[in-house]
Amino acid sequence: MRANINVFWILAGFFILADAVYVFWSLVSYGKVEWVGTLGIALGAILGAFLAFYLGRVHGAQGGELPEDMTDSNIDDGDPEMGFYSPWSWWPIVLGGSLAIFFAGLAVGTWICFIGVSLILIAIIGWTYEYYRGFFAR
Amino acid sequence: MDVVTSNSMTQTPTAPLVQRPNVVAVGTIVWLGSEVMFFAGLFAIYFTLRSTSPELWSTETGHLNVPFATVNTLILVSSSFTCQFGVFAAERLQARATGWKPTQWGMVEWFFLTYVLGALFVSGQVWEYSNLVQDGITLSSSAYGSAFYLTTGFHALHVTAGLFTFLLMIGRAFGVKNFGHREATSAIVVSYYWHFVDVVWIGLFLVIYVLK
Repeated sequence: MRANINVFWILAGFFILADAVYVFWSLVSYGKVEWVGTLGIALGAILGAFLAFYLGRVHGAQGGELPEDMTDSNIDDGDPEMGFYSPWSWWPIVLGGSLAIFFAGLAVGTWICFIGVSLILIAIIGWTYEYYRGFFAR
Repeated sequence: MDVVTSNSMTQTPTAPLVQRPNVVAVGTIVWLGSEVMFFAGLFAIYFTLRSTSPELWSTETGHLNVPFATVNTLILVSSSFTCQFGVFAAERLQARATGWKPTQWGMVEWFFLTYVLGALFVSGQVWEYSNLVQDGITLSSSAYGSAFYLTTGFHALHVTAGLFTFLLMIGRAFGVKNFGHREATSAIVVSYYWHFVDVVWIGLFLVIYVLK
């Protein structure tokens, strides 16, 4: 993860440098700061610094290197519990379908969007509470 | 057997004992990174229109109610703090209050307070929109109206979605038998999102109401 963090810090540094050049160049050429690009490039730098900072915090908190970051580790060293993934959930495809209906409504006719929004709400609530009710309730 | 040339088991000299990063938290941060660039696009729209029609900006920004927006901003910023106290409660795995004092509040109470503050912010924006529409600034009235309503409107949609997720989190805290790390993780990533939306508003406020 050290490499990922460094890449994002390098990106942030590059965008800061590019932004400084951009501001200087627009001042020389036009005599004023061009805000669109200045802010756009600056937010690119923020994107890089944001991810680098957070990954740095995560890396510091994990107290060591993950097996996938070590050259001398085996495949089965990196076989942990990755998280909880539902093996048979239908809710993601319900949500995807409702979003498709919503965006089709934007293109075809706004009235379809209202149907889409209600289906999206049902899908999100269903997905969020999938493991909080019924047979598999936590 | 003096020399062993091969071994069926490869042993690592030091078994790595590391805490694996929380994929939900890291994934949320990466998604928020993409949200940064989404709002970068909105800022680009705003500044492009501002540079192409500066005369609109010099007249239309006079309609803005800056003191009101400042109060509204303070409400949203304070909701970030109450949200964070809710996260602290969630990290203690404390869903509900054990007493009436705020130090004894659980995640549910703090998130309800955050919800109220966020709802006040959105209501304040609705009131502000209605005043601006009375002054003749609408989404289609001019380039200024388009830029203003696109940037603040997409932000308000984000706040509204955040309010909805707070309700989902509160519902989970009520629905679950034992408030555990899974629920705490959800509370933490919702707070990431809420802080992000808050910081974006500070940026929008500085650009739209202070810089004009």
